[in-house]
Amino acid sequence: MPHSKLSSMRIAVKMKSILPVVFVSMLFASQLFVAAASAESTPRQIEVTAKRFVFTPGEITLHKGEPVVLVLRSLDVAHGLRFKELGVDVKVGKGGTAEVTFTPDKIGTFVGHCSVFCGSGHGEMTLTLHVVE
Amino acid sequence: MLRALPSAVGASLIAILLVGCKANPPGKVETAVMFWAKHKVMVHNKAQKNPLPDNAAGVAEGKEAFSHYCIACHGLDGQNTGVPFADRMSPPVPSLAGEDVQSYTDGQLKRIIDDGIGPSGMPGSKNILSEDEIWSIVLYLRHLPPSGSLGEPEMYSH
Repeated sequence: MPHSKLSSMRIAVKMKSILPVVFVSMLFASQLFVAAASAESTPRQIEVTAKRFVFTPGEITLHKGEPVVLVLRSLDVAHGLRFKELGVDVKVGKGGTAEVTFTPDKIGTFVGHCSVFCGSGHGEMTLTLHVVE
Repeated sequence: MLRALPSAVGASLIAILLVGCKANPPGKVETAVMFWAKHKVMVHNKAQKNPLPDNAAGVAEGKEAFSHYCIACHGLDGQNTGVPFADRMSPPVPSLAGEDVQSYTDGQLKRIIDDGIGPSGMPGSKNILSEDEIWSIVLYLRHLPPSGSLGEPEMYSH
């Protein structure tokens, strides 16, 4: 058998053994890519409960440029949460749930207020948002 | 006879005190003195400026904040429209569009809304409303609609 033909056969055999490995690797790589893309497109979700006259949690830290979904849940009457400087305002009905998606574009500390009048402590019902790099 | 004398004297004194407690509308001099005293001495915070921009959106927010409960005494228009007891208060609830109110500075109006006016029955709104809401009400007070143009508060229409 000529030497060149023998080499070609060896390469073909090697290719056969390598191909599955390459295929599986590509499959894993694509899975990782999909997972990464999914992580990027799914905003972080933060749940906040509102009850006369307290938001829980009372403080939240976010990253600038990171999209978030703020889910506001009322445990009693209608409430709202407004961060004026960030252009965010979400209102929730009595005992209901509402959400707003936003991406903080400024670094700093922002105080959000209840934006639906809810009684004698309404003016003190606040949530502090820290936006960091 | 003598036994009944202390009771008669006591009853007479109580009657005299009650007559003395009768509140009459203030005269011109008293009104002028109180106007000067309130604007120049009693209501502080004259220099503070409204941090909110004076625009249509701000006025709309003020109107909304005003509607939470100020309307119960001042009406939707701030001029007592539809408020059944406005003239029966002592002193009567003033029109917020009148000179007595409009001649206060923004800072003084903020102070009055914050702390209320004790003898008049007006309560303070600090912490019941947020700072922004109170400043927006001050803005609304500077842009009150024509008297009667908003109708009367719903609570008096039932």
